[in-house]
Order: sequence, then C-alpha cells, then structure tokens
Amino acid sequence: MKSIRKLIIAIGVGVSLLTSCQKLDIKPTNILTDDVIFGGEGGVNSYLADVYRKLPIEDFTYRPTGRDGRWGFNLHHEWEHFWNAGSATGEMVGPYGGMDIGGGCAYWPYSDIRAVNYLIETLPKYSANFTGNRVNEILGEAYFLRAYYYFALAKRYGGVPIITSVQNYPEQSIEELQVHRSKEDEVWEFIGKDLDQAYSMMPETSLRARANKYVAAALKSRAMLYAGSIAKYGSVNFVDGDAKAQGYVGIPADKAAAYFQQAWDAAKLLDGHYSLYQKNPDKELNYADLFLDHDSPENILVRDYSITSNTAHSWDATFSPRFMTADALSRAYPTLEFVQRFVQLPVTNADGTPRRFDNLADLKQGLEPRLLATVYFPGATLRGRQFDMQRGIYPTFSGTAAAEVAKQPDQRNRIVASDPNTLYQGLPVIGQTGIRPPGSSDEVSRTGFYVRKYIDYKKPQNECGLFQSTQSWIEFRYAEILLNRAEAATELGKADDALFCLNQLRSRAGATVMSMADVTIDNVRNERCKELAFENHYWWDIRRWRIADQLLDNARFRGLMPYYVLNEKKYIFLNEPEVFERNYFFDKKFYYEPIPGGELGKNPNLYPNNPNY
Amino acid sequence: MKRLVSKILLGITLLAGSACTKIDNYDGPNASFEGKLVDATTGGNFQTSTGSVRVRLEQISWSDTPSPQDIPSKFDGTFKDSKLFKGKYRITPIGGAFWPIYEPVEMDINGKSSHDFELTPYVVIKNLTSTLNGNELTLNFNIDAPVTAGMPGVIDVQPYVNTTELVGAGASIYDYSDLMKVTLNKDWAALTDADKNMTLKIPGLLPGRTFYVRVGVRLNDSFKSSNFSEIIEVKVP
Repeated sequence: MKSIRKLIIAIGVGVSLLTSCQKLDIKPTNILTDDVIFGGEGGVNSYLADVYRKLPIEDFTYRPTGRDGRWGFNLHHEWEHFWNAGSATGEMVGPYGGMDIGGGCAYWPYSDIRAVNYLIETLPKYSANFTGNRVNEILGEAYFLRAYYYFALAKRYGGVPIITSVQNYPEQSIEELQVHRSKEDEVWEFIGKDLDQAYSMMPETSLRARANKYVAAALKSRAMLYAGSIAKYGSVNFVDGDAKAQGYVGIPADKAAAYFQQAWDAAKLLDGHYSLYQKNPDKELNYADLFLDHDSPENILVRDYSITSNTAHSWDATFSPRFMTADALSRAYPTLEFVQRFVQLPVTNADGTPRRFDNLADLKQGLEPRLLATVYFPGATLRGRQFDMQRGIYPTFSGTAAAEVAKQPDQRNRIVASDPNTLYQGLPVIGQTGIRPPGSSDEVSRTGFYVRKYIDYKKPQNECGLFQSTQSWIEFRYAEILLNRAEAATELGKADDALFCLNQLRSRAGATVMSMADVTIDNVRNERCKELAFENHYWWDIRRWRIADQLLDNARFRGLMPYYVLNEKKYIFLNEPEVFERNYFFDKKFYYEPIPGGELGKNPNLYPNNPNY
Repeated sequence: MKRLVSKILLGITLLAGSACTKIDNYDGPNASFEGKLVDATTGGNFQTSTGSVRVRLEQISWSDTPSPQDIPSKFDGTFKDSKLFKGKYRITPIGGAFWPIYEPVEMDINGKSSHDFELTPYVVIKNLTSTLNGNELTLNFNIDAPVTAGMPGVIDVQPYVNTTELVGAGASIYDYSDLMKVTLNKDWAALTDADKNMTLKIPGLLPGRTFYVRVGVRLNDSFKSSNFSEIIEVKVP
C-alpha cells in the first residue's frame, strides 16, 4: 500500500517536472499588445478613443468640485448638471451654498498624460503599418491632446511638472521620478510649443469629435489669451507667497504682449475655415439652433453622446422645470445680474413705480434675440407649455418698487405659495413653474428665469428624462475664436480688428452693431460673458482677469420676480434678492488651486504649495 | 484530532502573543502653545474676528515640507493649542490685516510653551464714539495708518453689529452691518479727510436689546481682512 502511494507521488512529480519545461511564451488573449494597437488605423483609433474620453473637457457632466472623491470629469452616472461652475459664480444661482468651487477637485491627470507620451514614443516604431504621412498626423494629434491636458493643469495650478516621456518604475529611481514643478510661464510656453507642433503636423480635416490643425490653433488662441491676461492682471492683483516669489505662480508682466500676440495670430489662422451659424433667418431660433444642429459650420470640436453607448446626458431634464420634462428637476437659474449684461429691463417707470404689463410675455418685447435664446423669460413657451412663473399675487399695489422691496417680508401685502396648485380667488398664485418662498423644495426658479441655451426645444416632453439628451457639447466654436481674437486685439491696441470681430457676433445675435468708441476692454469682456454664457467659460474668465475677488466679494444675486396685481389685472416685475439670498465670496487664494495633498505627500519637489494654502 | 486542534490553538496564541511586543513609544500630543498677538501701535492685543488672523505652525523637526496647521486667534488677540506634538516648529502669524511677517519664529514647543508676536496693523481706528438718538446709532471715528509706504488699498469701511460679544466679519447682523458698508476702493494716499474721519449711522435698531458694535476697515491685501476697533456695548432703551 505504502509503496503504491510512493509510486503515484513519484510519477506525479515526474510528469509535472517534465511538462513544466514547455515554453509559455504565448500571446495573452485578454489584453491588446503594442503590435495590435499600433498595427493600423483601427488600433490607434481605439487607443485615442480612450484618450479623448478622458480629455478634461468641461462638458454638461463636468462637476468642478468632483464627486465622491473623484475628479469632476467623466463621472459615472452623473446627471446633476446644475452642480456647475456657472451656478457657483453668479452667472446662475444653483445648489452650491456659495462660491464653493475654488479648491477644485484635485485634478492631476499624469496617468492620462503618460498614455499620450506612450503613443508619441511608440508609434514611430510601427510606422511601417501606416501609409503616407499618417504617422506624423497622428503624432500631431497627440501633441494637441497633451497640450490640452497641460492647459487644464496650468489654468488650475500655474506651474506643474512637465513630463514629456514615459516614466518607468522600478527602472527609474524614486528621486528621478519626483519631478520638480516648472515655472508657470514655462508651462504656458510648453503648451504653445506643443500646439505649434500639432498645427504643423495635423491635416486640415478630421473625423467628427477629433482634432485637426485648426482645433490646435483654437486651443492655442484660448491658452495664450489666458497666459496673457495672467501676466497682465496677475502681476497687479496677486497673493504673496513662496510659490509666487519663485515663479511657480504668476507670469512677469512684460510677457503679456507676446502672449496676446500669439493668441491673436492663432485665432487668425481659423479665418475662412469656420463660420458663424446663420441657417435660420429668425435670429432667436437661429441662436437656439446653433447649439443643437449636428452640422453647424461654427463647430470646431465637439463631444458626442448617445443613448446606445450609455453616454447620454441629462441637460434637458435638469435645466427646465419638471412641468416641461419627463422626470428630475431643475436647480440652477440665470441671475438678473447676468440678464442685465444685455439690457436694463424696462420694469420701472420714471417715478419709481413698477411698470404695468398686460401679459407676462410682454416683458420679452424688443429684447435681443440672443438673450431670449439664452434665457427663458416669463411668458416664453417650451414644448407647448408656458413659463407661467409668478412670485405671488398682490390684491392691490401702490407705491414704488424700491419701497416695496425694502419692506420686511411680513409687512408686504402679497399672497405667496409653495404649492403650484394653490389658487387665490381662482387664480394660480405662483404657476406651475413659479417661484416658491424660502424653505420650499428646491426645484423651480429662484430668480424668475430658466436656462435656454442647449435646451432641445424640439424634443417631445416624454423623451426629456434623465440620460436621454444627446445634443453635442461644443468645446470650441467659432464665436469663441472671434472673442479670443477681439480680446487679444483690444489688449494689443488693435481696436479696429476687435470691432470687426465683435460686430460679426452682434449682428448674428440680433444686437445693434458697435462703434469704435465702444471697443473698451470692459465691453469686449461683457460681450464674451454674454455670448459664452453657461458654457463653463465664465469662472475661468473672471479668474484670469483677476476680477473674481471684486465681483464675488460677499455678493448676493438678484432675480426679477413677476407678480399679478389682482385689482388692476396687470403684471408687475420687482427686482428682488434671489430666494435663497446666498452669499458668494471669492478668497484671493482661489486664483490658483492648491496642489493636491496626496501628490505633495508623494513628491516633495511640488513644494512650495500655492500661496495661502 | 483533539491534539491537532489544541496544537493549532497553541500556535495561534504564540503568534498573537509575539506580534504585540512593540509598543508605540511616540509621545502623544501633550505639548501646548499659547500666546498673545500684540498690536505694535497700541501695545494692546490685536483686535480680530472669525476667519481672520491665525498662527501657522509648521513642524520642521518632522519633515522638511510639513503640512501647515493653524491656530485661529480669538477675538481678543490670544491663541492657544494644547494638543501639539513636541518638536521644533516654524511659526508665523498670517491672515489678518497687518504687515506680513517675513521672518518666522523657529522654536521648540515642549510642555507649556508660549510666545507673543508683535503685529503692525495696516490701519488703526481711533477715537471711536457712539451716540444713540432714539433707535439710530451714530458712530464717529478716525482712521490712521502707522506705515503708509507700500500699503494695500482700502476697500471699504463698515460697522459690525451683533447681539453677542462675538462680533466681527462673519458674525454680525446683515441689515445693520453689511448694508451700512461704505465702499472706498482707494489707495491710502487718495483718501480724503472725510474718508479718514468718518461718521456711520445705523438706523432702526430694535428697542429693548443690547447690541455689541465695532467698526472694521478692510484692506486689499492677500487676505482681504479687516482691522477692527474695540467692541462697544450699546443698550437701546
């Protein structure tokens, strides 16, 4: 018995020893290797698809503070698009308790940059698999992508480590991998250089949602404009500290003009290759459509979404009231301050009494079409339903608007309600979309306005639910390029060129054209804030102009509250604080985000941290 | 079988017993640090409020690049932290409306340590008087700057009114305080005599209450903090 057992063991050991010498050098079946990825166009496309997906495009789903400890990009199952930068800064008021986004979300995408560097290093080894100039063209695209990542870093942190090759551990020592921060202007210069290279290597056209040489030029005009204004305004309004003294944040003022010139030159490259969207002679509809038309000649780079690939977003469901959508709720609303960038609304008579309107919709009469296509006013219609918002009903109203608003709330002779179905003498008090008193549920307007930009008004109501919106995000559109160029031109003293750009935009918008005397930096900026509203530009703009600490200095924003005056059967509009009366304060240190704490722990060469952190 | 189980149990016990021989011999945070922030112009304590002056500690005996920890100053200009690890610290008061301190103090904190810091405010509020006329409070005061060269601009001047002695920025009644703000946005040299000798009126104080009132002048430096006057008590009959 014992000997049989020994025999079995001996045979077993013998067999396994013999078979173990087989070579196991077979290709893994579950991962793609370099020769597959770089074996041709298809492999590279799938590699780049992942890079584009992770690209820090601040689209519908971008959440500036991140969520659940993750960066704010590409969040899984993200539908609450009202947690956006605009609604923390006074373009809108939203769910943020105030200006809560200054610290950012610890974005630090060096693993994604590594993927691009890997492509740049590896692709040339497989050049035999590509025809003609394709290798160069793909490399150019990679330079654009790398610049895009560094742009997202530079505008947040100033100077960061510049990594241009693939790092390897343990082949390289820890000390070698702890790369020092570069100075802020070195990072902007690096971005410019990568984009120049991208521009020279890439073709004129590209697949949809992919970059071509003009996309690189578009990014360059944006990035160099940022660098120019940081040099010019950041050297006047800044926070002192070691990082500032050593150049990790801040750019010497004398470099501003060169950056503005680069921004202008880059913007000029797009001349004649893209044009403003003007398909519809109705200027209001035209402006609304430009954000919905799949084939707009204004689009330079878009990001697409689809229901089948589980990438659809929820813009329609989260920026209009539930009355007009299939589910969800809205929580971010344009402020009166934003609307007043266009016009002082004629709601008060010369004697200070509120002007009486026969219909809610009469307020919209004669306003700039672009404004009406950006914001839903009281009385506007969406999917066959009217924005019937009211703050309440006055049985009678006398006196001036200002005196009425200054009264304590309990001394105001008005009827308010938190339930849209509440009636007063048979009339709805606030309407289905109307403004509820403080303390009610947060799902209808706090300011009397709703966002219209990007709202797909042609979509049937039952298809306006969560994860059912597929309109593209337009990351670069020609209007921005004209604004970049106009701003750079104004900074460089070329007012005539700025005027030429601005008037193209203004005539498309249905606004009156400007004259040379109107071309001041304040007007150019205001035009930018109007044209690019709710497109996640405003926060970065007021930051780089270094005016955020003045604009958001314990700021409280206002709304325009419609009321029905019962005995006169008229409507009035009162300029009142938005319902939540939130306070927005920008601490000067927020001109830069703090270097993420976890990274500081890993790499002491990232010190000094940005000032005041 | 039983012997096997008891052998395994013995093994586990031995392993568990020997795993715990090392004792955490690092002292707990049993050192304390306290002190006063002294106003160099008056010799009294530096007047402050919430979210303003703090004493920044960096434990350089622990790391070359230590994460800073801050002790917020109390309203009366004192500070104390009794849960610190002993060691060598670099200490800098920051955050308030005073001339920055470029040479931080480096000292050992061990047991009960203390240190006072002398701060030079940007602006001093002098001769604050208050008169109550019915329910309207009038405040008169002058503002002065000990050092004017290179001084940050003056953003605004405002009263702070609260119903408790904790009164200052972030601890005041909006309608009596922020709404009474006088915006200047001027450099010191551009201030007029009227700007420097100011009268603020606060109407509509609720009768039968006691209010605590002070005045703040906000400066446009890195922190946008304010210099504060002393707190005065106002009883509205």
